Amino acid sequence: MSALAEILFGGLFQGSLYAMMAVGLALVWTTIGVFNFSHGVFMMLGAYIAWQLVELGLPAAVAFPIAVVVMAGVGWILQASVVRPLIGRPNIVLVVVITTLAAGSLIENGALTVWGPRSKQIPALIAGNTTIGGVGVSLHQIAIIVITPLILAALWMFLNRTRLGLALRAVAQNEDAGHLVGLNVTALYGLAFAIAASLAGLAGIFMGGYRFMSPVMGSDPLLKALIVVVFGGISSISGPIFAAYLIGFFEAACSYYFGLYWTPALLFGVLILTLMVRPEGIFASRSRGLA
Amino acid sequence: MNPILSVEGVTAGYGRVTVLHDISLEAGRFGNVGLFGPNGHGKTTLLRAISGLLQPKSGRILFDGQDIAGHSARAIVGAGLIHVPQGNRLFPDLSIADCMALGAYSPRARPHEAENREKVIKLFPKLAERWRQRVRTLSGGERQMVSIGTALMSHPRLLILDEPTLGLAPKIKDELCASVMDISRGGVPLIVVEQDIEFLLELTQQLYLVNHGAVATEIKPGESLDHGEIMSMYFGH
Ligand SMILES: Nc1ncnc2c1ncn2[C@@H]1O[C@H](COP(=O)(O)OP(=O)(O)OP(=O)(O)O)[C@@H](O)[C@H]1O
Ligand SMILES: [Mg+2]
Repeated sequence: MSALAEILFGGLFQGSLYAMMAVGLALVWTTIGVFNFSHGVFMMLGAYIAWQLVELGLPAAVAFPIAVVVMAGVGWILQASVVRPLIGRPNIVLVVVITTLAAGSLIENGALTVWGPRSKQIPALIAGNTTIGGVGVSLHQIAIIVITPLILAALWMFLNRTRLGLALRAVAQNEDAGHLVGLNVTALYGLAFAIAASLAGLAGIFMGGYRFMSPVMGSDPLLKALIVVVFGGISSISGPIFAAYLIGFFEAACSYYFGLYWTPALLFGVLILTLMVRPEGIFASRSRGLA
Repeated sequence: MNPILSVEGVTAGYGRVTVLHDISLEAGRFGNVGLFGPNGHGKTTLLRAISGLLQPKSGRILFDGQDIAGHSARAIVGAGLIHVPQGNRLFPDLSIADCMALGAYSPRARPHEAENREKVIKLFPKLAERWRQRVRTLSGGERQMVSIGTALMSHPRLLILDEPTLGLAPKIKDELCASVMDISRGGVPLIVVEQDIEFLLELTQQLYLVNHGAVATEIKPGESLDHGEIMSMYFGH
């Protein structure tokens, strides 16, 4: 019983974090057709901004939303500075991998300079612990498990039930046709990045509430998010969400039965197998669309 | 009547390749305008320059007296100049309903959304039957209807159609031609690129032969030519 509870809980929790990260990557890929390698840095920055605001004396309930909004601005600016000027160039995918990596590394080093290497922690969403099915869990983690699906559902509603969401899905499919119905394509690109950065920032706040933060805290989640989108198919946002939870459960089960040490190797093994059976899972299919 | 659109000495192309060489023409003075000419001589490029998808290197494009050359496509759509591109790729994973909502995206078109939707459904009743169906699953003829319908949702003051009948079977093509005639009778001036000269002769009052990125011949009302003469223009003397 407790084994099942532990795997279930661990999977839901890790899956939530991966989903928050992966959905932003997928959103940017489907609308703009680029991979954002500063996505992990967005996560770190969101956490540090939240930490700074709490340090300044703001209550968490105020600091966290502000940090998320600031991250939207950061996403927008990053898009305008290192992505938008390159749109329309040949090899845009590779070029943007490099520019976003470079920007990410600059921000990472900036964070190191400003905040120093000492690890920090931000307040939990809800303090305290409880036991479920014989497993001790923190209320913070339960809050994440509950909040994440709500946010993902809200994102889905926004994309599928609002005119602005419709516009985002439309540019993803045909940019010229988007221009010809009068969409502000540049602003929609900015919006995609802003949403992605906010979600990453929120994931950072989630993570900073139960683990120590450092300027490189985003690199492992970025890697995991990449695995998730590769695994789940890159051309939609529902695929990665599904894959995020699947991988979360897989990891939880592996680390329960084989230990934490073997988990990454097993995960990559599964990933490689998946790609061998379904190679179209990655870049091969460049058809994009949000659904 | 003043021309609603006049293109004055426009030069445009892709990268270092120049496709349009100092091209000039007018539309709306005598009614609908038809463009024809050999493949690859710049008709589509001209339309892309007019609708802001392509920035002209030089020249002026006056829409209703305003120079729109180099303006964003969004601003041009906002002014009421609507372009239905060649090849109806559209938004493959959106439904017809979604496309119509997008057509009415610009603030100018939004207040007329319900009224324009009625018009589109009256013009293309087939679309109403497939309202929730994805564009990718529609036939070529239906896709062309969605393209034109989306453009009508944008409340056009001038409608530009790039080869609307391309690749359609004769029966569907005739239906579509009749619908385009209907749109014109409804009071929307048209610029139409077509390979089907018969259709152009029926629909338009003024024709331009585009050759090597420039106007080779202009045919004004009263100078109507027969099919044979136009064919000889196509293929040289
Ligand atoms: N995106 C592009 N990049 C580079 N060259 C292009 C591009 N689009 C068109 N061209 C070139 O510009 C020239 C004119 O093409 P355009 O599509 O305007 O011709 P067209 O008259 O519309 O032909 P068709 O009747 O076949 O549609 C052609 O030589 C074409 O190869
Ligand atoms: Mg063409």
